[in-house]
Amino acid sequence: MKLIEILGKELLFFDGGMGTLLQERGLKVGEIPETWNILHPEVIKQIHKEYLLAGSNLILANTFGVNAYKCRKLAYSVDELIAAGVRITKEAIEEVRAEFCDLGRQDVENIPMYAGLDIGSIGKLLKPLGEITFDEAYRTFQEIVIAGDRAGADFILIETVSDLYEIKAAVLAAKENSTLPVIVTMIFDEQGKLLTGGDVASAVAMLEGLGVSAIGLNCGLGPKQMEKLLPQLTQCCSLPIVINPNAGLPVVVNGQTIYNVEPDEFAKSVKTLVELGASVVGGCCGTTPAHIKRMVEVCKDSPIVPVTDKLLTVVSSYNHAVYFAQKPLIIGERINPTGKSKFKQALRDHNMEYIYKEGLVQEENGAHILDVNVGLPEIDEPQLMEEAITGIQAIIDLPLQIDTSNCEAMERGLRYYNGKPMLNSVNGKQESMQSVFPIAKKYGAVVVCLCLDENGIPETVEGRIQVAKNIVDTAAKYGIPKKNLVMDALVLTISTSKDNAKVTLETLRRLRYEMGLHTVLGVSNISFGLPERTRINTTFFTMALNNGLSAGIINPASVPMMQAYYSFNALIGEDDQCKAYIANCMQSVDGPKEETTVKNNSELSLEEAIVKGLTQSAQQATVKLLEQGIDSLTIIHENLIPALDVVGKGFEEKKMFLPQLLMSADAAKASFEAIKKVLSGQGKRSDSKGKIVIATVKGDIHDIGKNIVKTLLENYGFDMIDLGKDVAPEQILQTVQEHHIKLVGLSALMTTTVVNMEETIQLLRDNHIDCKIMVGGAVLTQEYADQIGADFYSKDAMGSVRYANELYEKGEL
Amino acid sequence: MEVIKQQIRKNINMREIYRYLGYGTVVPDDTITTMIEEVLTKLMQVITPKSIYKLYHCKTLNGQVILTSIDKSLDSSSMVVESKNLSDNLCSCQTVAVLAATLGIGADKLIQKYECINMAKASIAQACGAACIESYCDRMQEVICDALLAATKETYYVRPRFSPGYGDLALENQITLFDALECTKRIGLTLTDSLLMYPTKSVTAFIGLTNSYQKRVIDKCERCGYCSDGVDT
Repeated sequence: MKLIEILGKELLFFDGGMGTLLQERGLKVGEIPETWNILHPEVIKQIHKEYLLAGSNLILANTFGVNAYKCRKLAYSVDELIAAGVRITKEAIEEVRAEFCDLGRQDVENIPMYAGLDIGSIGKLLKPLGEITFDEAYRTFQEIVIAGDRAGADFILIETVSDLYEIKAAVLAAKENSTLPVIVTMIFDEQGKLLTGGDVASAVAMLEGLGVSAIGLNCGLGPKQMEKLLPQLTQCCSLPIVINPNAGLPVVVNGQTIYNVEPDEFAKSVKTLVELGASVVGGCCGTTPAHIKRMVEVCKDSPIVPVTDKLLTVVSSYNHAVYFAQKPLIIGERINPTGKSKFKQALRDHNMEYIYKEGLVQEENGAHILDVNVGLPEIDEPQLMEEAITGIQAIIDLPLQIDTSNCEAMERGLRYYNGKPMLNSVNGKQESMQSVFPIAKKYGAVVVCLCLDENGIPETVEGRIQVAKNIVDTAAKYGIPKKNLVMDALVLTISTSKDNAKVTLETLRRLRYEMGLHTVLGVSNISFGLPERTRINTTFFTMALNNGLSAGIINPASVPMMQAYYSFNALIGEDDQCKAYIANCMQSVDGPKEETTVKNNSELSLEEAIVKGLTQSAQQATVKLLEQGIDSLTIIHENLIPALDVVGKGFEEKKMFLPQLLMSADAAKASFEAIKKVLSGQGKRSDSKGKIVIATVKGDIHDIGKNIVKTLLENYGFDMIDLGKDVAPEQILQTVQEHHIKLVGLSALMTTTVVNMEETIQLLRDNHIDCKIMVGGAVLTQEYADQIGADFYSKDAMGSVRYANELYEKGEL
Repeated sequence: MEVIKQQIRKNINMREIYRYLGYGTVVPDDTITTMIEEVLTKLMQVITPKSIYKLYHCKTLNGQVILTSIDKSLDSSSMVVESKNLSDNLCSCQTVAVLAATLGIGADKLIQKYECINMAKASIAQACGAACIESYCDRMQEVICDALLAATKETYYVRPRFSPGYGDLALENQITLFDALECTKRIGLTLTDSLLMYPTKSVTAFIGLTNSYQKRVIDKCERCGYCSDGVDT
């Protein structure tokens, strides 16, 4: 019998802890346990056999900590350690079968005993916040999976990984490189949070989407604490549930961690877990064959709770899940270049910050999901989609809706997304369904389905419903259930046909209440071509919500739309004590939030606004000057730069300090933005004083200093190419060559990474690059800078501005 | 978690924040102090402080520190650390706590978010994060001393924390320390190839514990060779 056939249908038992047992048998701290697969295979096999004899059905090979990073320090390869580990496990199973046979047990071949490839965390945080890329993590897991599959593992367990993104890389590696069942168990704390902040619902949403075979909890907690968390899991999980607790919470005795729940108590607690819905149970840290033996004795006759489909339509980010339910949702529509010249320019300039800001504002304004569309004909959309998705999810907590018609961009977005994504969109055309459904299925996306097909948008309700039915049926053939489809009833403007709203609303109603599907609409299309569009939009939005709209794709910065939304929720009883409604009212009274809260500064001059660091006032003052007909270059040279110099001088004289310097920089930036807007209107671009490359050197992950320098240099009119942190010397060289750069700024914080700074400088010099190099960072000194061959040592951010200006004036940039 | 957050907040050394921001001993104006309060409040919402420690018997000998497990029946591990500075720091101590503490990835995300929308707040968040993790470590030292008092009925005092990278204590010791405390699995701390930590607002340290009274050392110079006024502390 294959594991997949009985998983969730009968109670199965995992094994228990391995680490402590190995220590008892002489494993030293610092010694890598997996090396014993080769050095002492008989010890490992003996432990497996003890667990099998105790009644375990699923035995984990001793491969938890094996990965390419760890093996760099070892005499063995990943493949050797994994092959040996899996082989020992399989041998143990065969030997125990033989023993059972000798004991006269019947049907020995059918006793369920399976060898699992055990995969743990790589121990590295993924980019963009961390050190390694998603692809590097994927390849690390891929190597492990291929080795384990080849060695004959029966299933894969991914366990004890606390970052959902790393788990996604592991699951994809497992699914793409083997056909084995994949089980994932994670450590949650007592509040039900992963160490990286994810909650149970978000983990379940993502993993179900990726098609794993079972989900559960392990380590971190004892059975009693897991009992409290289990309802969170059973509530949302439609897969078999695995629970592998520790032998209690860790207790520190004399500074050492021990687990002290005895086998009998452990077994009884686990029995409760089975009654509550776990169908695979075992142990983790501190559990022994005695724990497992007792657990099997106590639990073996307990009936399991049948696994049911919870029929939830859900998307998730790295830390929380968003459900389509009675209460409607807001999908922010602003990350989209359609009809926005500034956004288009930002995409062409690769100005990711602009995109992130659009996201942050929408999050602030109450969006639940963000639509992400970065499509422009002249750009590399797949590449930009990957960057946008990874960049946005690093700083914004909301689930994302990947919005593109480019299939490659779609797959890139889905692959690098950290959670269960939404996908916009598929339609009833055969071609569309053929290309979209397979990848939507693979990544578990919730798909927006447009009710149109080869014949266009049906004019009648019936026509749109027919298309919807066809889409639902076709999706089912690809294994995509109804719960992962959200229908777009389509909105056409009432300015072209008076019945357009009526058709949409009736389609909505039937989709939601007759077909039981969730729905979305791009609401504002309704008023296209009409004056005062907000009036129509707001009323239509309310009508749509009342006719079964599950999620409106709107601009959350639109005050009337959000007022309609909060009012609607209060009226349908989805806003307890009208709290959200009242909060929204308070916000409307206060007006839109401004970064700088100081008011009544409209009379300030541009210089004053910049010196005081007031963003809004600086912007207003600039607009005023421009309106007075003053030339933009004059403003820059006679108002803006002198003001920045005042601040810079104050900083160097220690009369002003870093936060003030940066506030002024932000204010100056707002002023520049206003000027740029005018210039681009005149078809001009502002002058650049030259391009500067800036980077935090390889090995160093501290980048605030570098970012401060970048902000200030931008203010003074330099074009900055920011390569980020932990940047390899070769990448710096390549960029410098490609862009003919004359000035490079390098930052390093640690004495250990200044070495890499030196290496970078050496590489540039060896390649006879004619450029100046300025350096800075906490441990650097003039002497040190000279020693490593830098041209300039900047003791603070203003120093770099002075140096860059000097070079500019000498014509060397 | 909420209790520990309140303790961290209560014990934050505001002067450290000002110093990290380059103010030296000057107190910032109202605009900036208000902004610091705002950022601190936000930071408190997003951090998830976690820590782990182990106690060892300590012997110092010719620039070598030998740490052996307190209870051999539970853990037979030992650690040998080569460092003249650390051995000086620990020379009066029979017991050493090895501590790893982190504010979690939320602090890094917040800083990154601010870098996008407001650099002044980003620099403040950076400084507040640094002060927060220090405050957390201070609190953990009290926890460790309390635990020792309860277990041994003796009062213990702490020597200044000493971290890999200080003086001649090589960063390579991070590897040993990470293995001994199982930092990744237990508190989600990871180590880069260059031996720096993610999440970045994290500390690993050797903490000497002694029965003889130690006045609380504010002067950081005893801890490390250099002292910077920049925000990158």
